[in-house]
Amino acid sequence: MAHTDKQTAFRLGVLIFVYLAILTALEFYVAVAVPSVVVLSLIALAKAGLVVYYYMHIYRLYQETETDPNSYEYKAGTLRLGLWLFLLSDAFVFGGLAVARFNLWGMTRPPFNQVLGLIITSVLLVSSFFMNRAETAMAHGDRRNFVISLVITLLLGIGFLVGVIGIEWPSAIREGITPSANTFGAVFFMMTGMHGFHVLTGVIFLLIVLRNGLRGLYSAERHRAVEAAAVYWHFVDVVWIFFYPALYLIGTVV
Amino acid sequence: MKKILSLGLVRGLLWQIAGTAAGALLVTGIRALMGLNPWGSFLFTEPAWVVGALTGVIAFVWGVGALTDWFKWALGEETPEHREDPPGWEKYFGVSLDHKVIGIQYTVTAILLLLVGGLFALIFRLELAASGMQFISLQLYNTLMSLHGMVMIVGILLGVAGVMNYLVPMLIGAHDMAFPRLNAFSYWIAPPAAIVLLSSLALGGFDTGWTGYPPLSTRSPVGIQMFFIGVWVAGWSSILGGLNLIATVMRLRAKGMTAFRMPILVWASVATSLISLTATQLIGLSFQLVMFQRLLGMGFFDPAKGGNPILFQHLFWFYSHPAVYVFILPGLGVVSELLPVFVRKPLFGYRWVAMSSLGIALVGFLVWAHHMFTSGMNEYLRVPFMYSTLLVAVPTGVKFFSWVATLWKGKIETPTPMLFVLGAIVVFLMGGLSGPPNGVVTTDLHLHDTYFVVGHFHDTMFGGYIFPFFAAIYYWFPKATGRRMSEKLGKLHFWLLFPSFLVMTFLMMRVGLLGMRRRIADYDPALGLDFWHLLITISAFLIAASVLVFLYNFFRSIKHGEPAPGNIWRSRSPEWQVPSPMPVHNYEEAFEVVGEPYDYGLPGSTYIRFNGKSH
Ligand SMILES: [Cu+2]
Repeated sequence: MAHTDKQTAFRLGVLIFVYLAILTALEFYVAVAVPSVVVLSLIALAKAGLVVYYYMHIYRLYQETETDPNSYEYKAGTLRLGLWLFLLSDAFVFGGLAVARFNLWGMTRPPFNQVLGLIITSVLLVSSFFMNRAETAMAHGDRRNFVISLVITLLLGIGFLVGVIGIEWPSAIREGITPSANTFGAVFFMMTGMHGFHVLTGVIFLLIVLRNGLRGLYSAERHRAVEAAAVYWHFVDVVWIFFYPALYLIGTVV
Repeated sequence: MKKILSLGLVRGLLWQIAGTAAGALLVTGIRALMGLNPWGSFLFTEPAWVVGALTGVIAFVWGVGALTDWFKWALGEETPEHREDPPGWEKYFGVSLDHKVIGIQYTVTAILLLLVGGLFALIFRLELAASGMQFISLQLYNTLMSLHGMVMIVGILLGVAGVMNYLVPMLIGAHDMAFPRLNAFSYWIAPPAAIVLLSSLALGGFDTGWTGYPPLSTRSPVGIQMFFIGVWVAGWSSILGGLNLIATVMRLRAKGMTAFRMPILVWASVATSLISLTATQLIGLSFQLVMFQRLLGMGFFDPAKGGNPILFQHLFWFYSHPAVYVFILPGLGVVSELLPVFVRKPLFGYRWVAMSSLGIALVGFLVWAHHMFTSGMNEYLRVPFMYSTLLVAVPTGVKFFSWVATLWKGKIETPTPMLFVLGAIVVFLMGGLSGPPNGVVTTDLHLHDTYFVVGHFHDTMFGGYIFPFFAAIYYWFPKATGRRMSEKLGKLHFWLLFPSFLVMTFLMMRVGLLGMRRRIADYDPALGLDFWHLLITISAFLIAASVLVFLYNFFRSIKHGEPAPGNIWRSRSPEWQVPSPMPVHNYEEAFEVVGEPYDYGLPGSTYIRFNGKSH
């Protein structure tokens, strides 16, 4: 991980974020101007691909050189595989929810404020940027930047939860879309609730990592907990990359 | 008394009771403060029971001590990699990190649950022995029938986990599973899950069958929530166990053990784990959605609110069809594993058999809607699902072909494990042949929800799981205890079980074809089925008698069995090249794989070589 120097790694993180931001803006434009499910799905896939490759570093699963099973590196690789398997399993929950959404809503969607949706989406996307920055910093032994970026990530994560639960949920209820009113409410609250629960567990994970980081338990060579927290956090972001168009952009308002 | 309290299991149970009470009282208090009715028909209200059941499970796992190390890690403390277990029987009642201990914990828990599920079956089978209602109420019949299904399924899942946990690390030459703490956690959430599942009996039961279809499940008593939560938690046991197993096989294989030198049982375990890792989430989700529909009025499956009951069936069967492959693939792996040992010939078509497990698992993901031909789903879905279902016969046929060709002209020995292997092949063949009529749309429209399906299903479960499970126990019992089970009693077990089981399922199919519906408590005497039902019940009790013989043999042999310290089956597999019972950390010396695993009878062939250095 320390093969590239720190500034290059930071710059790559910024570049990927710029791509993600452009794609998100394009997505919003497409949804408003020419609502095409195919284009929206492709954009979501492209965004997810960028996060999975450049922020979650999926290639580390198969680019391993360590062969001694007793080494820290090898054990970290086993843990990495375990986490990815867990995410694969978890993805089936979210996939099932997406199936429920398309089965029950079809090509319609509830009249949610798309700009509000865009704002909370951006909050999560920016948090992924800082999460990547925090991990990169730790991989180069830069504890100061690690702590700063991690705190920003945490604040943005909490901001996302406040946005969804504190602002979006009450406004949906005000519009009459309550959990028990109709399937708009049922699916919306189930999807955002399940995702919010994952954000919450991610926040707890990050708090643990922050505390142990401040106590100096991680180093450039040994920080597999930081990497795991980052991968989990990005995964939750990837889920939202698909949930956002499914909830706010695809379909016509009825 | 102090000694009993020091057992993890006892502490866990006490914690579970306290945790359930705490969670339920918390919700009750909140309801009282909100001005809602705080008490329900079973003391607490439904939300209180749901929260209580969940907090109870968490409390159990905490009380037993399965979370301690993780808690320490979160606080930044180190924990020792290995932990020595106390000698003697106590280690089986608390958290152990040794995969062999966990494997035995799983297996014994599985046997207990299978006995409970079997007991339920005996009760309602007695009721069905004659037409008219004899001695149980309709609601109790429904609850027992439904619980029989799910308790058996959970029991089988734990039994599968037991076999895989105990054997796979040994077969691949690992010290332990990849994540020993996760392994212990996966086991220890199963007992509280089983308790929650069984507690549905005390909370009004439920009448939906094991499938829990809405809208019926949205109107059942509170018991259905205990069913949902019990299955959901047990599902996590299966998910995390599968995760652990895949990681173990991918990361901890002995030197030289390439993919196509892995034992068939390892291939089968990976295929099974892929299913349990992924698909299980969807039965969990489908049950959660009904749970929330009941608690919060969310209208997922309520047509009045725009919901769709068919959606539940899609989510449910997306797991519950592949689930049967979770049950049978390890069993079929055991058959392929033991057959060459007792035929003294190489396994025919090793590569094809290895790939066929994965093939069955993958095709299994594409067939779920064959359970829904009569559900009212879109009609154009029927034919594709019919063909994908029939496609399963191809990889399954590969296995049968390999077994027959392996037996061909072999020097067949028939000690008890081999009897059960041969029994498995015959019974599973019956299950396989009675499958296509259910998978083909035209015949299924007639057979759906009849006893024919029950007969078919029990054939596949006994052939694919129960017979191989017994074979595995008879075969590896000496590995775990250093003693072997009695051959005489083993043969009695088999010859009591095998014919009565075949009679039972044949007659189940017969009464099904004659118009007997499944899941119902009573039938019209004019159908003329009383005699056949009586015979089915008698066969069921003979099966129960055979299981009693097995239990006696099992528990007696732990202490009094004939000593068997060596390689009594003349196996090539690595675990038999070291003394029995298996040493605590498995292999003192690491081994290297230098040949093919099943080349029995080929002069000069070797599978493994101990290379002296410990790893
Ligand atoms: Cu099926």
